[in-house]
Amino acid sequence: MSDTASSLPGGLERVWEPLRERSRSKRSLLLMLPLVAFELLIFLAPFLILLRISVAEGASASAFAEGTWSLGAYANVFTSDLFRSIVVYSFLMGLAVTVITVAVALLYAYAIWRAEGLIKSALLFSVVLPLLTTLVIKTYAFVPLLAPSGTLNDVLLSLNLISSPLQIVPGTAGVIVGQVYIVLPYAVLAIYSVMATMDWGIVEAARDLGASRPRSFLEVVVPQAMPGIIVGAVVSFAWSVGAYAAPALLGGGRDQTFAIQVEEQMLTGFRWPTATALSVVMILAMVVSVALLFAALNRFGGEFEYA
Amino acid sequence: MHRETVENVAFRAGYLSIMACLLLPLVVVVVTSFSASGQLAFPPENYSLVWYREFFASDLWLQAFDNSIVVGFGTTALATTLGVTAAFGQELDDGRLGSLLAPLVLLPLLIPPVILGITLLVYFNEIGLRATYTSIILAHALWATPLVYFVMRSVFSRFDWQQLDAARDLGAGPISSFAHVVLPNVKHGIFVGALLAFIVSLQEFVMALFLSSHGTRTIPVLAWSELRQSLDPMVSVVSTFLILISLLALALATLATNLEWVSKQLS
Repeated sequence: MSDTASSLPGGLERVWEPLRERSRSKRSLLLMLPLVAFELLIFLAPFLILLRISVAEGASASAFAEGTWSLGAYANVFTSDLFRSIVVYSFLMGLAVTVITVAVALLYAYAIWRAEGLIKSALLFSVVLPLLTTLVIKTYAFVPLLAPSGTLNDVLLSLNLISSPLQIVPGTAGVIVGQVYIVLPYAVLAIYSVMATMDWGIVEAARDLGASRPRSFLEVVVPQAMPGIIVGAVVSFAWSVGAYAAPALLGGGRDQTFAIQVEEQMLTGFRWPTATALSVVMILAMVVSVALLFAALNRFGGEFEYA
Repeated sequence: MHRETVENVAFRAGYLSIMACLLLPLVVVVVTSFSASGQLAFPPENYSLVWYREFFASDLWLQAFDNSIVVGFGTTALATTLGVTAAFGQELDDGRLGSLLAPLVLLPLLIPPVILGITLLVYFNEIGLRATYTSIILAHALWATPLVYFVMRSVFSRFDWQQLDAARDLGAGPISSFAHVVLPNVKHGIFVGALLAFIVSLQEFVMALFLSSHGTRTIPVLAWSELRQSLDPMVSVVSTFLILISLLALALATLATNLEWVSKQLS
């Protein structure tokens, strides 16, 4: 970028360059300022208020007692059996969805990477279109497909593969299917964008040296795609732990995620300190587990690389 | 040799069945929208356009459609302005504030939308913006801006900045050099970013669920509340329109650049 300046006569350059840099940097600050202000006002400031409400006392007549301080809501969150089971359910569901999603996404991203021409476009298209479709539709489409009187059960019954309808929706299996469908495109694209930069020659070399296809995939492709796998896993996990639509629509009474509970506490129960404390705890737990996931997968990838 | 063939067939069957699973729910939605009965079944027994007629006769749905469009355009305008200017500024900057910006902009995408929804609900109550279009637009911009921002970062990183320096050295002011040198080179990127922002806003419903009122609720919000009462093919009709809009946007974005590039921007 300084090429044009260096063509100036020697003495002038020394004066011109710092001036130019300074004005450029100020102007760039000015350009970034609107976005910074927006994030501060619409993202960070609201979170400070959320934090404040979570340490207020509850009140019977209103959402919370203004001006009071109390850790009651947090004590409530940590001691309640209901909240414990909700948090456990959210995390286990998130974990199951993440494992399934990453496995399927790896295979699919690999297929996109290897495909050419029309097939490649078709594979990419089938990922991007669901990505641009609303959660409401994505989850609701599974009801006629997986319900006891739905298409899948009809087919299985008429083929005599099962004697009575499978209970998928409403139920935990349905929640997992729906949630995998929601996060799969993100994971596929995250992994694919890393694979696209990889060199096919290395895989070929491994095969020439005698590695089988599955082995060359697991030991050459997977470790190299690790950065994409990590991003895919983190996104799948964060979105599934915080899931609202799939559990609410496809789950049964026992499929209570914390997002559903937060909504209930907030809008039905009108207990804002409890709802906000639950949110804060959940965000912190998520940050910690995402960091752990990062570390674990990084290590896993590192080991593979030197194997 | 034989084993390789088996592996190839298994691999092909694997990814083709995943592709089928990815598209099947969308096919279900479109097909059930042509159902003649009030029952949601796939495949329907009889086909008709009765639910489409119903849609165009319904003030409720048409109002929600208008709301979605207003919120969508508002979000697009805001997110595109914020994203493009910030990405441009960061390109000129040597990266002190800029390195903080990316994580700050990305963070809202990882916070569960229910939490963002209640947080903003409390906040907008406090500052008196409750149940206005503005509140939904601001919330959706939290999600749409990162998309525009990262699309533009990638577009600007491919732009040859010496062209801008050259224009400046030849005496062009900051605005005219941007308009005549930078803009023509990045306008496809801006268009794709804006399109994605619009789609994000059109499809988002959890935050809108918390922030909208009777008069401002968007299509997905109305679909959600209708779904919880009864399952009839009307939601399929509405969903088919939303899928069509996404298809159109995807086609436009692909024309402006290409599918591969668009897909990478989304990850």
